[in-house]
Amino acid sequence: MSRSNSAVLSNPLFREPTLMGGVTHEIEFRDAVRDAMSEEMRRDKRVFLLGEEVAQYDGAYKVSKGMLAEFGERRIIDTPISESGFAGMAIGAAAMGLRPIVEFMSWSFSLVAADPILNNAPKMLYMSGGQLGCPIVFRGNDGAGGQLGSTHSWAVEGLFSNVPGVKIVIPSCAADAKGLLKTAIRDDDPVFFMESERLLSIKGHVPEGEYLIPFGHALVRRVGTQCTLCSWGRPVNFCLEAAEILAKEGIDCEVIDLRTIRPLDLPTVVASVRKTSCAVVVDQSWSFASPGAELASQIHRHCFDDLDNFVHRVHSDDVPTPYSSKLEQEYLPNVRKICEAVRSATYRA
Amino acid sequence: MPIEITMPRLSDTMEAGTVIKWNVKEGDAVKSGSIVADIETDKATMEMQCFDDGRMAAIVVEAGRQVKVGTLIALVALEGENLAAVKALANAAKSAAPTQASAAATSATKSSNDSTSPVGAPASAVTQTETRHGMEGFPAENAVDGDGPRMRASPVARRMAEDHGLSIQSIQGTGPAGRIIKRDVEQALENRSAAKSASTSSATHATLAPAQALAVSTSGVQTASSPLALALPGRDVALSGMRQVIARRLVESKTTIPHYQVTMKFDMDALLELRASFNTKLASSGVKLSVNDFLVRACALAMAEHPYFNASFAGDHVRVHSVVNIGVAISLPEEKGGGLVVGVIRDADHKSLRQISGETKALAEKARTKGLTVQEMSDATFTISNLGMFGVEHFTAIINPPNSAILACGAAVEQPVVRNRELVVGTQMQATLSLDHRVIDGAMAAQYLASLKEFIEEPETLVI
Amino acid sequence: MMATTTPSGSGANSTHGAARKLPALPSTTLTKWLREMHLIREFEVRCMQSYQEKKIGGFCHVYIGQEAVAVGCTAAVNLEDPIITAYRDHGHALARGMSSRACMAEMYGKVGGCAKGKGGSMHMFDRPHNLYGGHGIVGAQTPLGAGIAFATKYEDEVMNAGRNRRVTLCFLGDGAVNQGSVYEAMNLAGLFDIPVIFIVENNGYSMGTEISRGTTMSHELTIKGRAHGLKEATIDGMDVLAVYHDMHELANWCRENSRPAFVDMKCYRYKGHSMSDPRKYRTREEEERHELNDAIGKFERTLLDHAVVTDASIKEIMNSTREEVRDALKFSNESPEPDMSELYTDVFVEPWGRFTGSSLPEFMGGAANACRFHATNGKEGLV
Repeated sequence: MSRSNSAVLSNPLFREPTLMGGVTHEIEFRDAVRDAMSEEMRRDKRVFLLGEEVAQYDGAYKVSKGMLAEFGERRIIDTPISESGFAGMAIGAAAMGLRPIVEFMSWSFSLVAADPILNNAPKMLYMSGGQLGCPIVFRGNDGAGGQLGSTHSWAVEGLFSNVPGVKIVIPSCAADAKGLLKTAIRDDDPVFFMESERLLSIKGHVPEGEYLIPFGHALVRRVGTQCTLCSWGRPVNFCLEAAEILAKEGIDCEVIDLRTIRPLDLPTVVASVRKTSCAVVVDQSWSFASPGAELASQIHRHCFDDLDNFVHRVHSDDVPTPYSSKLEQEYLPNVRKICEAVRSATYRA
Repeated sequence: MPIEITMPRLSDTMEAGTVIKWNVKEGDAVKSGSIVADIETDKATMEMQCFDDGRMAAIVVEAGRQVKVGTLIALVALEGENLAAVKALANAAKSAAPTQASAAATSATKSSNDSTSPVGAPASAVTQTETRHGMEGFPAENAVDGDGPRMRASPVARRMAEDHGLSIQSIQGTGPAGRIIKRDVEQALENRSAAKSASTSSATHATLAPAQALAVSTSGVQTASSPLALALPGRDVALSGMRQVIARRLVESKTTIPHYQVTMKFDMDALLELRASFNTKLASSGVKLSVNDFLVRACALAMAEHPYFNASFAGDHVRVHSVVNIGVAISLPEEKGGGLVVGVIRDADHKSLRQISGETKALAEKARTKGLTVQEMSDATFTISNLGMFGVEHFTAIINPPNSAILACGAAVEQPVVRNRELVVGTQMQATLSLDHRVIDGAMAAQYLASLKEFIEEPETLVI
Repeated sequence: MMATTTPSGSGANSTHGAARKLPALPSTTLTKWLREMHLIREFEVRCMQSYQEKKIGGFCHVYIGQEAVAVGCTAAVNLEDPIITAYRDHGHALARGMSSRACMAEMYGKVGGCAKGKGGSMHMFDRPHNLYGGHGIVGAQTPLGAGIAFATKYEDEVMNAGRNRRVTLCFLGDGAVNQGSVYEAMNLAGLFDIPVIFIVENNGYSMGTEISRGTTMSHELTIKGRAHGLKEATIDGMDVLAVYHDMHELANWCRENSRPAFVDMKCYRYKGHSMSDPRKYRTREEEERHELNDAIGKFERTLLDHAVVTDASIKEIMNSTREEVRDALKFSNESPEPDMSELYTDVFVEPWGRFTGSSLPEFMGGAANACRFHATNGKEGLV
């Protein structure tokens, strides 16, 4: 499975959820996110949650359901619809040493808070010469798929991953969401944690007991020999589906779930591509200047003499997100597009 | 189908050649074996022979022009072929895309019409993006540059071909615009081993496609097995690319170079003592000098006085090299397919023991894991083969062309030695030079060994 | 001069009489304020000079004319009360206690600067003195200021289960009053009972635009705070005694009640918005009229009247500040430029997190991977 190093393995908190064994519970993605927040809030009083409708309404997507009852209104804080204000406020609090979790109902709304989250959070440490950091987590729904129209369907990683100083986490399943969010809350740097509205109700097996998943630690979700599929977040699930279809055609795909795109676990990708000589990157952001473009470029650089074809990429189409369900499904990086890309990359088109 | 004559590779380092003179005119009859042209390589002027009977239909590269190895330089029309038609073909090739074996050329034309290239493909997730935003307005993928058609091969295909000693030009590409891809190389390798067993059993190439035939003739292994051997029970092991190269080069060496051997014994006590003391001192910095490192340096330093040991026989002259690059024979483990490569310590006469040791170790390690690059294996001017670590006391080696000598070193063993008329226990090593008599005479060999003896028995001189 | 009582009738007001009366403070404290005001002015004059000599790069905004605000406000609160401000920040840094060496060297881009030369003129950070920047984007510091105050309150009340005991001063210019983030910050502060004071240093101009041309209700700016339920005050920022008196009272009120406030701090900058401002939007006569009301001159006269200082001691103060700034310039000149490795430090506390993954840092290009290794130091690539 995933490559490991001794430093990680020697940390008793790090356990790969798929390898933990023991009792697992089948819970929804949103429950996993809540469990991570609740566990960390029980453990550390500096942690608090703020955002629109997180308290009395139990969360716009019910992610924070029941948390107000447990932690009270001083730590589960309903904010007005005022992203620039409360994001900035949380950053100020983080600079003082608190560990806020800011919920954006949608990452699309974070754009009105672009100045604090891009100009203050990731730069405070550098501009103060190391005097002040910003241990904060921003989290919320990211990506299209729910017929929300273009303004509400942003995959902001395409924009934000360009900024140095942030860590970007995009889990693809419940177990990862829990382990990665716990790591994010304990991290001393700003973390952008991107969930998918389309994944919130998807159930997954989450092991009992505490575990944290380190950043920059990709997981090989499917072992294969002929083509490496690299993705993160919701499209990982499409890749797995595509891999099954392709297997029937005799194309054996390896599927790598990057989990975090900053930091980016290149060694796992490179080792895989050196084996398969073929790579397809699947990224739900738009293609131009995207994280997928960065990963493809890195693969070209590190695997140049190992490639049998240029790295193919599957993105959302280069248009504003359409409302129509039919158009929206076509717009997204879907199973069909992934299959086509793999066939083309392996010269089976 | 006319016969294509391409610029032959007439030396191991030759990348391009110049046609000095054509010995035939267009229209002349040629016979297999006749010398049709003189070619100047980077080292010498060589004769180029024709391998088929026919008529010289077209001279594509005139005398005086230099072209890359593999470039089409002439066409020979076989019996019954229309001379003018072949000539016209040559002219077309000259103006559009002068070069190349027919297989690659025709396949390039053919596959450019295929819809495998992204440009012509039906809209898909990938191609949509590429065509809409990336490919519009770009020349078609099979466009050629001024110097001739580009060799299209994926990076991994190039690497695999090189690793297996396969000429990439000889492979037919099936990717977009005739790009040679991984599975083409795999196919070619499969064909080659099939061809190999076919040629050993029936001794004919008739069944092979032209591309594979070329590959085989390039590697040039055509050893006939004795009927007895074939009759006995056993199993056939296909030759790896490396094994083929070894077979070809060493047959060539042993059959064309007038070998002879000269052996000398060296007292090793002083050297071993010095080595032990260095290694104790350098242990903390991870340096561990081997006897071989001392030998590399000794051989390199001795070149100053004996330049002909650092030379190559080149037909009508001897080339004395001005750099000293010592090759070290490295055997590869069985699980890696076995075999033998020569790693090269460049400018060894200017390197310290420590540098030599480090480089040798790195080369050996790389050879046994990832494999050495061509660069790391080429340009040796003298070679050392050492079997001392296996307990061998004495052996002789075959010269590694185009070197003029190779040193075969045995183990340093304790044995009775007479010193100052007394019998004592001393450690001695036997070293045997194999020499090219066209370059080096026996007395010269003795003098070289004497110089080596001095360095080895007074090893401090190696440190200075 | 300007003294109004707020409609809510808070105690935060000032009159001529109050200003002329000295507070019950040791004379050494008053002398210290005078020295700080002189230091800021001398420092800023030398800044202008250094800027013109190209020793200071980028943007540079000097504080000349507004010294009483920074000195009076910082004197009115405790060191543990955080301060955050905008880009005209040298005065606040010096008043808060940052050494003139660290402040000047920062502008020189030298390693002796408060942020090792990585922040520059607009971004003065001094954690030991609870100065949280120095922020270059107009208005951006206001939500952060609310957050800093939120944190002090959270720490006092939630984590330590006690009472709020700190107040945060968040400075902004009158130009920032038109930024949306300021209103969001005030709304949140009002909503969440955050003990923060938004001090609008109203010098009458946002860059080159006179306040009434850019801001509605500029004759009654406090209405902006009132709209969000903030306690309001209008203070004469050209009178350090008024600033101290009114701010001291207001800060204590905010601390006690854990509530925010809004201050229209009337003042005037003698120089341009930045070093490249020709000040064509106002007349020289207007500037001279304001210079007659100079805060330093006025404070000196009051201190002389009350025999706290003498002409000789003022001279001595001026000499010592001149000497201090000269030393700061010398220090900044001589301080080395940051080591190239500094380019890659302080990007992350832990680039790969405390739970490091399998990746090797050298895989990422540029500074992204950053804190403790040199991504481009001849170690690129895999092999």
